[in-house]
Amino acid sequence: MREYKKITYFENIPVVPNQDKIYMRLGYRNHVTVLTEEHQRMLARGIQKGVSLCRLKGAIGRFDIIARHSDFVRLEDGYVLKSKSLSKLLLQSDEVILLASTAGKEVVERIFAEIDSGDATLGVIMDAVASQAADEALGWMIKYIAAMIKREDKKITKHRYSPGYGDLLLENQAHIFEKLGLQKLDLKLTEKYMLVPEKSVIAIAGIERVKTNE
Amino acid sequence: MNKQDFRKYLQEHIMILDGATGTQLQKRGMPQGVCPERWVLDHPDVIVEVQKAYVEAGANTLYTCTFGGNRIKLDEFGFGDKVVEMNKKLAQLSREAAGPDGFVAGDLAPTGQFIKPLGELSFEQAVEIYKEQVQGLLEGGVDFFVIETMMDIQEARAALLAVKETCDLPVCVSMTFNEDGRTLTGTDPATAVITLQSLGADAIGCNCSTGPEKMLVFIAEMRTYAKVPLIAKPNAGLPKLVDGQTVFDMDAEAFGTYIEAFIEAGVAAIGGCCGTSPAYIEQIRKNAEGLKPAVPQNKPFSAVTSARQTLCVGRNHPVAVVGERINPTGKKAFQAELREGRTEQVLDFALDQQDQGAVILDVNVGMPGIDEKETMVKVVELLSGSVHMPLCLDSSSVDVLEAALRIYPGRALINSISAEKAKLETLLPVAAKYGAMFILLPLSDKGVPETADERIELIRTVYHEARRYGYDKEDIVVDGLVMTVSSDQKAARETLKVIDWCAHTFECNTIIGLSNISFGLPQRSWVNTAFLAMAIGSGLTMAIANPSGEMLMNVKRACDVLTAKDDNSTRYINYFAQDKKKVLDSPREQKIKTPADQVYDAVVKGDKESIRRLIDSALEENTTPGNLVNRYLIPAITHVGNLYEQKTYFLPQLIQSAETMKRAFVHLEPLLETEGSEQQQAKTRIVLATVKGDIHDIGKNIVGLMLKNYGFEVVDLGKDVSAETIVQKAKEINADIIGLSALMTTTMLEMKEVVALAKKEKSGSKIMIGGAVVSEQYAEEIGADGYSEDAHGAVKLAKKLVE
Repeated sequence: MREYKKITYFENIPVVPNQDKIYMRLGYRNHVTVLTEEHQRMLARGIQKGVSLCRLKGAIGRFDIIARHSDFVRLEDGYVLKSKSLSKLLLQSDEVILLASTAGKEVVERIFAEIDSGDATLGVIMDAVASQAADEALGWMIKYIAAMIKREDKKITKHRYSPGYGDLLLENQAHIFEKLGLQKLDLKLTEKYMLVPEKSVIAIAGIERVKTNE
Repeated sequence: MNKQDFRKYLQEHIMILDGATGTQLQKRGMPQGVCPERWVLDHPDVIVEVQKAYVEAGANTLYTCTFGGNRIKLDEFGFGDKVVEMNKKLAQLSREAAGPDGFVAGDLAPTGQFIKPLGELSFEQAVEIYKEQVQGLLEGGVDFFVIETMMDIQEARAALLAVKETCDLPVCVSMTFNEDGRTLTGTDPATAVITLQSLGADAIGCNCSTGPEKMLVFIAEMRTYAKVPLIAKPNAGLPKLVDGQTVFDMDAEAFGTYIEAFIEAGVAAIGGCCGTSPAYIEQIRKNAEGLKPAVPQNKPFSAVTSARQTLCVGRNHPVAVVGERINPTGKKAFQAELREGRTEQVLDFALDQQDQGAVILDVNVGMPGIDEKETMVKVVELLSGSVHMPLCLDSSSVDVLEAALRIYPGRALINSISAEKAKLETLLPVAAKYGAMFILLPLSDKGVPETADERIELIRTVYHEARRYGYDKEDIVVDGLVMTVSSDQKAARETLKVIDWCAHTFECNTIIGLSNISFGLPQRSWVNTAFLAMAIGSGLTMAIANPSGEMLMNVKRACDVLTAKDDNSTRYINYFAQDKKKVLDSPREQKIKTPADQVYDAVVKGDKESIRRLIDSALEENTTPGNLVNRYLIPAITHVGNLYEQKTYFLPQLIQSAETMKRAFVHLEPLLETEGSEQQQAKTRIVLATVKGDIHDIGKNIVGLMLKNYGFEVVDLGKDVSAETIVQKAKEINADIIGLSALMTTTMLEMKEVVALAKKEKSGSKIMIGGAVVSEQYAEEIGADGYSEDAHGAVKLAKKLVE
């Protein structure tokens, strides 16, 4: 059996955030919102600037589930993730993947600098870019792990879950932070369990065993 | 088997590869979660039985059971110190199963880690890790190597170089493409084939991820550019979940029906991947019987690649502009940045040039006071991870170029190789090793020849040398050598002669460094643009230029149309196509616009740059400041609010209009004070804060901006503010409203503290809250006076609270 499982760190995740999704984050509605050419140019510039400032990094690790209940799952190190909805998501899983991504501090600093200096428009556009980029970086890492475990006849759960949503408390970020060694990505955790820089996300997904027709 | 024998074999025979191994081992008792390589060595009879079954089914080539046989993977099970020993034994077992007539391919696969800049592993570490495995497989007697299931072109390059730098055996590379036709790191089949064959792969193809139908599409894309045989190992169709079990949807017989199509598409080696078994390989054998491999198309083409993009250049393609701006010459700020080891401007230069129409980026970091090699590697890593365009690596140092070529995850263009002895002897072999295209500079140790005839002689000399390293004409781009017309007016003519000769007699690509031509002249852009048009007329295929020149780029676009390099003028039409989106419905658009109307329009359209000028014009036309505010600015921002509510506007437009409004107010404020307008009458005071423990305040800042633009007096206390500070400030300024923001479940609780303290201290302020995790219900629960979900709603709520 595996003696240990390493955390994989990504220093530059090759994701270009989806423009339509950035528009949606900003409240764009298809066939309803109307943009002039100038607005389009302004958005294109903001998105380009945001993309150029994002430094997408990530970390991912696999951990065994050693016990489960309808209210919680217990990981190999004894840590208990208390959440009915997470427990339901991980019903068929033998392992969890813990993952985190960040758009980096540069883009966050620039967002605030732009807002402070009077270009809040650029600030909010870059804010949406950074949020979308961090989210897509998680998606990219999920794809990566899915490809890696396929040969083990395993697959990833369809959905992922983040602390702070539903009944999974934000406090769980502290354990995941430590488990993934997120300080390696230059991340910090505040005493209220918030990730700094703020365009950073932690997520949990399950690894399920599948039987093939072989 | 040497490379020649391997190619000959694949010209004459279809090589039948094996099928899935892991599932066959599991069927014979290998448990989940063990190290497959160790388990196989502990149960050698099992792998021999599995592989012999494939041989009996018709496979004449077996992949060694070493998919996870590299140090990183074996380390996960504690066997990282046994790489050579284990690979050697595993190769020997496959040799035993293959028998005297079968081939054994040493299998190299992903390490599971990513190479910089994507991951932590250095390129050299990756090469060394693969070299160690190659050594073991060589000792075990493999006939050739196969690098398979590669998701990252850079890792495939590392493994390929590891084999090439260890032995002369043939080596194949097989990438795995997702349904979208790209690898996980974004490489498409054409880019993969161009990059890997130029780096020396003897066969290229794909395996895993898709069934035969989709894989045929990838193979067809590869064939257009493939100069080497293709290999394919598709899955048994697509996985389907049936009663909780993953089942591949294609049986062996159906799988077999695709074999002829694969062979017609250029595949010379074919087997199976996930979901396949000896029955599938038997179908390959039956369906391939009597068939011969198709001859590679071998059409000449000139192409450079990045990890994610191929750029073809040549007489039938648009003139390729190589962006010249990543070069410290004459750029003091950029020089200072590079000296300090920073690279912020590099990405700005890259993205700007991409936006302006460059299709390749020239990268030159040569300047005194820095380690050029280290800087070049850093910049190439940065650009490789951030932009899609191929790079032109530009240095006079062979060392610098070799370091950059080694880590560049595509097929680069080198700038440049001349007929200077040192360049021919040292740079040409390096360029050839990494398969780069290069710019041929027709100058020698004697200097730059003045006449075209002398330059042509040097072109022939360099090309003759390059042929020795396997270069063809399509792999080189001749620099016409642009000299300054202000010092020699014949200079332009000689350059054009060289271009003409290259295009029409020698038949190769050409490039010019455009800006030299006009050095020392006034209004240089006219000369540059005219010369570009003349050079394109002579057959020019590429130009090194600054693409920010609109005239230059538009003339290039027009020339592409006129020289039939822009099919159906599509690029030209698209570039100049007018935007046909709806024009904003502004209630004042139909009438003749007064300056005050234009102030209104500027707020609606968010025209921050013009607002001050327009206000001044309106004031000159005798509109009073008070009237401007009450009859134009406030109605304009109200109209914007309505557009936002209707979703005709979205957030950036709302904010841009708000910022325009803010600028207008700042401009008018002194005049309003003089006028004593009602805008100066008692304003509603609001204290805004993100609560203690919470560090997110962009939403709160936007609320503040909107409130100010609707005439509220806002005191923003920032983020992570304690209840005491908030309430104290509210009392101090006699605030009408306290606005609170919190983004997280852990910090929203602090809002309750603020509400309680405000009541206890009898601040008299109404309290409104907002933020991602709070709701109307939560506002009621903690005793706040209102909740708003966005900035515009906050303005409406604030108005309501003070009514």
